[in-house]
Amino acid sequence: MVLQHIWGLFINPKREWEAIRDDHCTIGKCYALHVLLLAAIPAISGFIGTTQFGWQIGVGDPIKLTVESASIIAVLYYLAMLVGVFSIGWMIHWMAGTYGAEPLLSQCVVLAAYTATPLFLIGIMELYPLLWLNMVIGIPALAYTVYLLYVGVPIMMGISEDRGFLFSSAVLGVGLVAFVALLAVTALLWGMGLEPRFTR
Amino acid sequence: MTDQQTYNYTVVRQFAIMTIVWGIVGMAVGVLIAAQLAWPVLNFDIPWLTFGRLRPLHTNAVIFAFGGSALFATSYYVVQHTCHVRLISDKLAAFTFWGWQLIIVAAAITLPLGITSSKEYAELEWPIDILITLVWVAYAVVFFGTIMKRKIPHIYVANWFYGAFIITVAVLHVFNSAAVPVSLFKSYSAYAGVQDAMVQWWYGHNAVGFFLTAGFLGMMYYFVPKQAQRPVYSYRLSVVHFWALIFTYIWAGPHHLHYTALPDWAQSLGMVMSLILLAPSWGGMINGIMTLSGAWEKLRTDPVLRLLIVSISFYGMSTFEGPMMAIKTVNALSHYTDWTIGHVHSGALGWVALISMGSMYYLIPRLFNRELHSLKLVEVHFWTATIGIVLYITAMWVAGIMQGLMWRATNADGTLTYSFVESVQAMHPYYIVRFLGGAFFLVGTLVMAWNIWKTIAGAKPAVGTIPAPAAAH
Repeated sequence: MVLQHIWGLFINPKREWEAIRDDHCTIGKCYALHVLLLAAIPAISGFIGTTQFGWQIGVGDPIKLTVESASIIAVLYYLAMLVGVFSIGWMIHWMAGTYGAEPLLSQCVVLAAYTATPLFLIGIMELYPLLWLNMVIGIPALAYTVYLLYVGVPIMMGISEDRGFLFSSAVLGVGLVAFVALLAVTALLWGMGLEPRFTR
Repeated sequence: MTDQQTYNYTVVRQFAIMTIVWGIVGMAVGVLIAAQLAWPVLNFDIPWLTFGRLRPLHTNAVIFAFGGSALFATSYYVVQHTCHVRLISDKLAAFTFWGWQLIIVAAAITLPLGITSSKEYAELEWPIDILITLVWVAYAVVFFGTIMKRKIPHIYVANWFYGAFIITVAVLHVFNSAAVPVSLFKSYSAYAGVQDAMVQWWYGHNAVGFFLTAGFLGMMYYFVPKQAQRPVYSYRLSVVHFWALIFTYIWAGPHHLHYTALPDWAQSLGMVMSLILLAPSWGGMINGIMTLSGAWEKLRTDPVLRLLIVSISFYGMSTFEGPMMAIKTVNALSHYTDWTIGHVHSGALGWVALISMGSMYYLIPRLFNRELHSLKLVEVHFWTATIGIVLYITAMWVAGIMQGLMWRATNADGTLTYSFVESVQAMHPYYIVRFLGGAFFLVGTLVMAWNIWKTIAGAKPAVGTIPAPAAAH
C-alpha cells in the first residue's frame, strides 16, 4: 500500500517497526511506495515557497528565486534526498557486521527510508520560508527522527538493544558526516558557478 | 611506606579538581558571550564585559585552564601508572601546578583589561608568556624524567601522544610568542606581515592538533581501554596513527589563510595536507570505537562509556568536517562564517570536553578511594551535554551556510542581494539556539561538579601503591 506505516510510526513506533520488518520490502518497492513520494514534499514545497512567497530578512520586499533557478535546485534537492537515503542504507549495511547483524541491503535501505519520515513530512513548511518558524518545527522533528532510529535499529537489524544503541549511534555519526558532506558539495557547486538567481 | 613505593597523587588530584572548576568558569563565560551575540545589551556598556575582551578569556579558560588542567592531571596519572614509578620530582610537579594556576589567574585579569598581543589563542602578553615557558619546561622535565626511570621497558602509546603534545606545544609557543617588548604590558611580534600570519596559524592550527588532539588522544588510549576493560583494538594501528598524525598535522596551518596574501602554493599545500589528515584521524577514531565496541554489553549500565563513545564519534565527525572546510572552494564560502565556530565546538565540546569528563569520572573516584556518587547523574550529564552539543552545532551549520550564501548572493544586475546587516539580523534565531545549546552543556557540567563533590566530600585522599611489574615484562 502506498505510504502505509507513516501514521503508526508516530502512534506506536515499536509495533510499526515490527510491521515494517515483516513486510520484507525490496528496495524498488520501498522507493516506489515511500521515498519517491515523501521526498517530493520538501522539493515541491521548497520550489513553491522560494518562487511564490520568498523570504524576508529585516525590512524590504521578500527575496525570491527565479523559476528557472528554483527548478534546477528543486530537482537537485530531490535527487540528493534519493541518493542520501540509499547511501545511508548502504553504510548501515556496511557497518552491520561490526555490530553482530546480518541484514539484507534492502532492510538497511528500508530502515534509512522510514527513519527519515519526520524530516520528509516537515518539508511542507518550506512552502512558507519563515526562518524562526521552520526552526521551531524542525528541531522537534529532528529529535523524533533520532528517536525513531534508536527504536528501529534493534528491531530491523535483529540485535539486542545494547548493541542497537551502539549501532544507532554509529548511524547517527554517519548521518552527521553525510550532512557535512552535503554542505561541502553545496559550497563546491556554488563556487563553481551553479549559483541560484535571486529576484526581489 | 616511603614515597618511592607510592604514586604522586597529590598533583593529579589538584589538577583534576581544577579541571572541573575552570571548566565551569570557562563555559559560563562562553554562555555569557553567546547570549551577548543574541542580545548585545548584555554587555551593559562596561568595557571589560564586552565581547571583544571576554571572547579571548573564554577561549583561554576552556583551552588552557580546563583542557590544560585535564591534560596535566591525566598525563601525570598515566605516566606513573604505565611506567610503575613515582614522578621524578614532587617539588617540580607542584611548581607546574601552582605556576599554571598563576598563569590562568594572570590571564583572567589581563584579558578583560584589554591587555592582549592580539594573536588568537596566544593573546597573553610577554611576561605571562615567559612564565608559561618556565612551567612548560618543568612539565617536560617531570614527564620525560619519569619516563626515563620507568620500570617497564615498553613506553605505552598514550605516553607517546602526551610526549608529542608537550614537545610540540613548547616549540609552537616559543616561536609564535617571540616578540619585542616595549613596556611591561605591550610587545610587538618578532615577525611582520604575512610571515607573522603564517607563524600565527602554524601555531594556531597545531594548538588544535597537538594541544587539543594529541594530548587528548593520549587520554583516549589510556582511559577508554581502562573503562571498557579491554585491550586497545589494534596496537599496531595506534602506532601508525601516532606517526601519521604528527607528521601530517604540522603542515595544515595555511588553510586558515586561504585567499589571503599568503603565496598560493602554500595555501594549496595546507589544503592537501589537511585532506590527507583525514586518514590518520579516522584511523584513531576507528581504533577507539572498535575498542569500545567490544564492550557493548556494558554500555547500558555504564554511562561513562557512553560519554567516551560519543566523544570519539564527535572526533570522527569534526575530523571529517575539517578537511572538507580546508578545500579552497568550500573555504571561500565557509570562512568568516559561523560554520567555523560550529566546527570548533563540535571538536571542543564533543571531543575534548567529553573525553576529559569521561576521564575525570574514571580518575577522581580512584584518587579518593570512593565509588562515584551517582551513575544516574552521569546519565543526566550525558544527555544534557549531548543535546547541548547537537543544538549548538546544528544552529551554527545553518547560520554559517546562510551567512556564506547571503554574502555571496547577487541580483541579476550584479548588485549584492543583501547588505551585511541583513545577514546579522538573520542570525538572531540561530544565536538564541546556540545560547541554549551552550547553556545545556554548562548545566551538564554543573551536574557533574555536584556529582563529583558528593563523591569526594569527606573522603580521605587515596594512596597509590606501586605494584611490582608483572613477570612477563
